[in-house]
Amino acid sequence: MAPALIILLVYLIYPVSETIRLSFFDNYGREFTGVSNYVWALNDSDFRQSILNNFLWLIVVPTTCTFLGLTIATLADRVWWGVFAKTLIFMPMAISFVGASVIWKFVYEYRGAGNDQIGILNAIIVYFGGDPHAWIAIPFWNNFFLMVIMIWIQTGLAMVIFSAALRAIPEETLEAARIDGAGEVRIFFYIIIPFLSETIVVIWTTITILVLKVFDIVLAMTNGQWGTEVLANLMFDWMFRGGGDSGRGSTIALFIMLGVIPIMIWNLRRFKMEQER
Amino acid sequence: MKHFSFGKFLAHFFLLIIVFIWVIPTFGLLISSLRDKDQVALTGWWTALKHNEFNEIVRTDKSNVQFEENGIFIITGNLLKNSPTKSVINFGITSKNPKAFKAPSKVTMKNGSTFYLKKDGSYRWTSDKEFKHKKGKRIFLTVNTPPSLTLENYKEVLVFRGLGQSFINSLTVAVPSTIIPLIIGAFAAYALSWMNFYGRDLIFATIVCLLVVPLQMSLIPILTVYNQIGNFFGVSAKSYVGIWLAHTGFGLPLKIFLLRNFIKSLPHEMFEAARVDGASHYQIFMKIILPLSIPAFASIGILQFLWVWNDLLVALVFLDKMPSEIVLTSRLREMLGEFSQNWEILTTSAFVSMIVPLFVFLSLQRYFIRGLVAGSVKG
Amino acid sequence: MRITRFFLIVLSIIILPFTSAFAGGHYSGPDLSGQKITISGPWLAPQDDQFRKVIKAFTDATGAVVEYGGSDSFEQQITIDVKAGSPPNLAIFPQPGLAANIAAIGGLTPLGADTQKWVLDNYAAGQSWIDLGTYPDKSGKDQFYGFFYRVNVKSLVWYSPDNFEDNGYEVPNTMEELVALTEKMAKDGNTPWCIGLGSGDATGWPGTDWMEDIMLRTHAPSIYDAWVTNEMPFNDPKVIEAMDFFGSFARNDAYVDGGAAAVATTDFRDSPKGLFTSPPKCMMHRQASFIPAFFPEGVKAGEDYDFFYFPAYSTKKLGNPVLGGGTLFAITNDSPATREFINYLKHPQSNHIWMEIEGSGFLNPHKGIDLAKHSSDTFRGLNQILLNATTFRFDGSDLMPGPIGAGSFWTGMVDYTGGKSAKDVTAEIQKSWDAIK
Repeated sequence: MAPALIILLVYLIYPVSETIRLSFFDNYGREFTGVSNYVWALNDSDFRQSILNNFLWLIVVPTTCTFLGLTIATLADRVWWGVFAKTLIFMPMAISFVGASVIWKFVYEYRGAGNDQIGILNAIIVYFGGDPHAWIAIPFWNNFFLMVIMIWIQTGLAMVIFSAALRAIPEETLEAARIDGAGEVRIFFYIIIPFLSETIVVIWTTITILVLKVFDIVLAMTNGQWGTEVLANLMFDWMFRGGGDSGRGSTIALFIMLGVIPIMIWNLRRFKMEQER
Repeated sequence: MKHFSFGKFLAHFFLLIIVFIWVIPTFGLLISSLRDKDQVALTGWWTALKHNEFNEIVRTDKSNVQFEENGIFIITGNLLKNSPTKSVINFGITSKNPKAFKAPSKVTMKNGSTFYLKKDGSYRWTSDKEFKHKKGKRIFLTVNTPPSLTLENYKEVLVFRGLGQSFINSLTVAVPSTIIPLIIGAFAAYALSWMNFYGRDLIFATIVCLLVVPLQMSLIPILTVYNQIGNFFGVSAKSYVGIWLAHTGFGLPLKIFLLRNFIKSLPHEMFEAARVDGASHYQIFMKIILPLSIPAFASIGILQFLWVWNDLLVALVFLDKMPSEIVLTSRLREMLGEFSQNWEILTTSAFVSMIVPLFVFLSLQRYFIRGLVAGSVKG
Repeated sequence: MRITRFFLIVLSIIILPFTSAFAGGHYSGPDLSGQKITISGPWLAPQDDQFRKVIKAFTDATGAVVEYGGSDSFEQQITIDVKAGSPPNLAIFPQPGLAANIAAIGGLTPLGADTQKWVLDNYAAGQSWIDLGTYPDKSGKDQFYGFFYRVNVKSLVWYSPDNFEDNGYEVPNTMEELVALTEKMAKDGNTPWCIGLGSGDATGWPGTDWMEDIMLRTHAPSIYDAWVTNEMPFNDPKVIEAMDFFGSFARNDAYVDGGAAAVATTDFRDSPKGLFTSPPKCMMHRQASFIPAFFPEGVKAGEDYDFFYFPAYSTKKLGNPVLGGGTLFAITNDSPATREFINYLKHPQSNHIWMEIEGSGFLNPHKGIDLAKHSSDTFRGLNQILLNATTFRFDGSDLMPGPIGAGSFWTGMVDYTGGKSAKDVTAEIQKSWDAIK
């Protein structure tokens, strides 16, 4: 127990307080500068861009993963090769974000019009008569092309959890509904979805936490260029680029922290309920 | 009944499309890693099994190999050296029109000489004046190249691009970083579930909070601590020991949380019986808990192993970029810039970095999924 | 007469021990077996392997183990290293501005008066190199930290003589001719330029080089200096004008390979390969002297490629300004073996090994090196330019403070090629400069 406590203290509790302290100091952490880092952050265009992009990520990625995960889990239960399909869709979970970035960079690879495209996305578009694009450099929309990578990885998780939850639905309930003449679609929306509400919340929070910290994908794909900056990468940049500014870096880190606090409180509440049970 | 089978058909159809979309990117990567590097750069991987046409620029031999026959000066040679499977389709003598002639053809050069090129790349260049050129004349070829699959890329990245060493580095980081938190976490989890002491719930509540603390916050403060410790003992702040402990620290809350939930779910009576028999906490832990927890250990261990193996952020901060310390993810990221257009190297390297996780995934799928599901439920 | 002879004798006495220690001879150092030196820098393939060859000769002579690690995100890596208190022994900085930042947080160890004197005596325009390697330390006192090794000449346009011949193009001597040639090429259906700004974390820097070259060709050097130190604001109309001149090449779909959209996403290492494809993707590529290291395997200097000087306006009468850049070694973690490695870098052999590698583009202002060791006349000529230089205008972005020269200026160039207006981009860069004052 003791070693565990010490490690937690050193690696998590102390850093959090230190980060809070540093956010009130200058770039070298020497002089107290009050809230000037916060003022800077709120006025910085990169920072605002990052907040906006993080919001986009937070809305799009968990929604899409949940939707696709549930769809695939439902479909896979209905075909004989469902287990095999699930294995293939789950596979990206094992791949690192950097590895996944290489894979997708290859998909998005762009060659000037008139050349043979070696990225499959542009190749398909050219085949159907369209113009090739440098996908990751198209402002605003490139955010979505980066999100695709995260969705590609995380949908597997949502799918597996939904699969387990679907199996827990009592067969009698479904049978009863069918006997009453309810169609598959009605069953899905009136019985299955309400039954899964708890699971949906769980998936949502898991992916949300992951998305808040998204770093590797942005670093490897664009390093925040072309308007794809996100908080975690911006923080890393300020913390370490050209001499580094620990004050501003820490301030940005605290904003990430701010994002997870609601989840923290929700977790605590669940824990308390569990204790009382 | 008819409606039902149509639904079945749709299910098959949509699932097939989704699976296809999901698999294609990885599949393209695998195929590309096996292709010849010149072909990867110029044609899509889906053409891997086709004969492809490539444009090449080659030079003829220099004037020093000419010989004279009946007052005519001749240079002969082959433009497709050592590649009997290739053949010339078109050729040209100026960059303005690289596909001007169909092989075999006889062409008159600007200076009046005659150039004859056959499909197999052999040429005969004749002139009634002596050849004087110092560098070979450029010939533009369109070459038909048969598909070639090769393991050459793997040899290239593993041996010459330092990926072999990085692979070992990654293992050096990942194995202890998996075992240490498991052991410490197991003890802590046991204490939190079965020992009564003051503040137990508070500690656990704290751990629940720490589950979601963003890793990024910890980097600089911990570096500073490492720096001070390193200075005190006169060792480098960046070391394998440092990163093992860092991964332990960052992974510990989740490990404790999951193991505690698992241990708590074991039948209560067992422990009371053991207590009555006079067993100490240590004995109970070793004799009862550990054997029962093997499956849980496996799940959580795999989770941690893959997390460490796939991590980039912690490795960037706590390890050097020297060949002896750089891990696979970090090396791969360097390569993204270094070889940004050498897709044969990038795809191969990415695949090398994926081999271990994919093996773990395919062979221990059951434990892996269980670990991930349990881990996710609590965020 | 007598005095002259006397002078000559004295001179030869001074020079003799000096030359016998260096010229032609092989480096021989003290026995350092069992010692280890670590070096980090920005050099990746193929330069990392070339540098390892330089290292090997040192290891052979002294027995010391030297490990080099290169990174595409060196700017970040060295900061992490220094902050962690675990820097390598030596860091190779691609920019003086970055080195100055690290010096300011106490990360560098001064090289000392001996090395300073050595540079003054042995480098062409030695004082310029000393000034470029001198920064304030933690307490604000100026110290000599940076030892330049591997310098490059910018302002070069690379091309294929054969392609020029096939199309009947002449090498332009003035900026007016270059602009006219660009137009002519596009009219002929050729693509004039290959431009690529991609460079990992440092994406955008090739664009800053264009800007500097253009600034030096449109305005007096004093304006250039004022721009680099921000005495003249970044969003001055002169800078905006220079950026738009760059845009007249880079933002014109007909002038650049792949169209304007490809400029920012194409890696700078990959960009020049378009000169050598069949049919050629482009006719010209503006880049510094190191770029042949990234040309396709097997192409030969003087035969497959050559360069011409990025020309000046004939109407502006600004002379032919020389712009250059370079990498500098600084001690980030002192040790006797590290000092000896710096000594090794002073020895001509450490220069020769790299010069001899075909197409490596290695240049240095070291007066003691034997130019015959260069792999081709192309590089011999370039090195001569460097040795003849009396003063040296250094890469402006490398002199700007890190957050600008290795930050907002880079991203600004990317934004500009992406379609933002020069006015907005320069205003944003100026804003980031105001923020660090």
